[in-house]
Amino acid sequence: MYRIRFHGRGGQGMKTASRILGTAFFLEGFEVQDAQRYGAERRGAPIFAYVRASREPIKERGIIQRPDLVIVADDTLLLIDAPGVLKGMTPQSVLLLNSEEEPKMWKDRLNFSGAVFALPDVQDLKEPTEQLHIGTVCAAAGARFVGVISQKTLKQAIQDELDILGNQIVEENLEQALRVYDLMEAYAGKIKPSSEPAVADYPDPAWIEMPYEDARISAPAIHAAATSLKNPTGLWRTLRPVIDYDRCHRCSSICSTFCPENAISVNENGYPQIDYQHCKGCLLCMEQCPHHAIESSLEHTKTLESDKGDEI
Amino acid sequence: MKETTFKSLKNLSTDHLLASGTAICAGCGGLEAVKIMYDILGKNTVFVNSAGCMTLLSVYPFTPFQGSWLYTAMACAPAGAQGIRDALDVLLNKGRIQPEEDLKVVVLSGDGSSYGMALSATSAAMDRNLDFFYLCYDNEGYGNTGHQSSPATPHAARTATNSGPFGYPGYKKDLFAIWTAHKPAYAATIIGSEPLDLARKVEKAMSLKGPKMFIALAPCPTGWHFDPRETVEIGKLAVKTGIWPLKEYLDGKVIHTKPPRRRIPVEEYLKKQGRFAHLFSPQRDTKQLEEIQARIDEYWAEAI
Repeated sequence: MYRIRFHGRGGQGMKTASRILGTAFFLEGFEVQDAQRYGAERRGAPIFAYVRASREPIKERGIIQRPDLVIVADDTLLLIDAPGVLKGMTPQSVLLLNSEEEPKMWKDRLNFSGAVFALPDVQDLKEPTEQLHIGTVCAAAGARFVGVISQKTLKQAIQDELDILGNQIVEENLEQALRVYDLMEAYAGKIKPSSEPAVADYPDPAWIEMPYEDARISAPAIHAAATSLKNPTGLWRTLRPVIDYDRCHRCSSICSTFCPENAISVNENGYPQIDYQHCKGCLLCMEQCPHHAIESSLEHTKTLESDKGDEI
Repeated sequence: MKETTFKSLKNLSTDHLLASGTAICAGCGGLEAVKIMYDILGKNTVFVNSAGCMTLLSVYPFTPFQGSWLYTAMACAPAGAQGIRDALDVLLNKGRIQPEEDLKVVVLSGDGSSYGMALSATSAAMDRNLDFFYLCYDNEGYGNTGHQSSPATPHAARTATNSGPFGYPGYKKDLFAIWTAHKPAYAATIIGSEPLDLARKVEKAMSLKGPKMFIALAPCPTGWHFDPRETVEIGKLAVKTGIWPLKEYLDGKVIHTKPPRRRIPVEEYLKKQGRFAHLFSPQRDTKQLEEIQARIDEYWAEAI
């Protein structure tokens, strides 16, 4: 069985990537499962989708525990735990990245024992959610790696899945996908189907045993206010708004009022401060600031350790 | 009526009540309106939320609110509000809570609920003269499930259920007219991109008893297909083009609170959104564009 997981951000087309690859497998006569992980399907939020394909009926269910191939459309996801990109990877697993960095660097940095490859020639300096064809490109790369999907089938699968978006978009995606498919010829068949793991091989789920309790204990009412602050939605951000305090006029109300997230507070000196733990990077503040005192920078270039907010 | 305390943006609180960390989309125009309104209503507020995008605000055990939240099915938030109001009144009458501990009851519903499924419950709540606030965040479609059309979807907009070359064939329902036909204590249209207008209206409504009804147009980057950074700009264009008239109903009269001095062509609003892209490319659909413009012109010819 082939087990392939796609990781990316909402808006990059990971769901579509898994649909295309699943359809391509199906057209080649495989039994297929393709599913996306439901969760915060929001632009910029970490998401994943996965495909199983086999010549035999597939009895496995649920999220793929031991992927043969993991394709990552945004390398910033590798630096954070929450998306679980490396979950269940073994020395036999292959990691395929959309990254400006060398695969060797990632292999060392992640201390990953399997093989790491990079998607060819799709890197540009745009923010990840603006790489318009990255989902299709990831699907094409997956099709190449398994080596059992012909160019003709891939083309058909892309047409089937993107048809609703109109001719022009289908053509653009086909061009990019087939280009990458051709460029990656040398990788054909890098992924071999792996056998069904024995039940004993599965790790126990990380659940907590809870005794049967009265409802007041087992499902307690939450009396605390504003507990949503525990969710670090700053992970969604691909672009980061940065305040240039030399240009800020301390009007103190426009960015803070318009920010839908309540991620901009005003300190005692009247300066706005961005809460990077929660800012989702919509950049509405940058657009609205009348003094152009807010600029954006690519999130890639920042380390997550600096997410403590700016001190003034 | 006393003069407004909201004379400039500086009068708005920068100490916001609605906490961050929710799963609502980045750049949500609905969330912006909820956030601004909550600051004015204050801490002593209980939200009654029917199923919709804003369901994502409170996902156990996380909540962005300072107080309670009741979740209801799509058709029954006003009925939930009635229950809470009654319970509060019982407690007040028995002296178990003091008047200063009383809560404002706020229904929070999307357009799928407000314009459709919950109309009957809303109508009944107004008939009973229920003392509550109603905020409809109107993103003109079933946003939380992939943006299928709702009765609030504007003519010609593409939705998940109208993906053909002509978009949604129907016309946006006039919910404001339906609501005001009930003669509620107060009704208004608002938008997050005009925070002062919003603040003044909520302030005014707070001094009144009975149903206080609000529809906030909620520019939706996800469903309308635009970059999240443009939410406020698109909201401002909705007002400047006259497609979203800001108005209020009080004492049987409707007043336009921010009539555009010189209306700009509605195209400027439409062409910024992917859901109307088929009106401009591959070729310009002059007939549809003229029809949309004509309806707006007709509205303002009658309104002023």
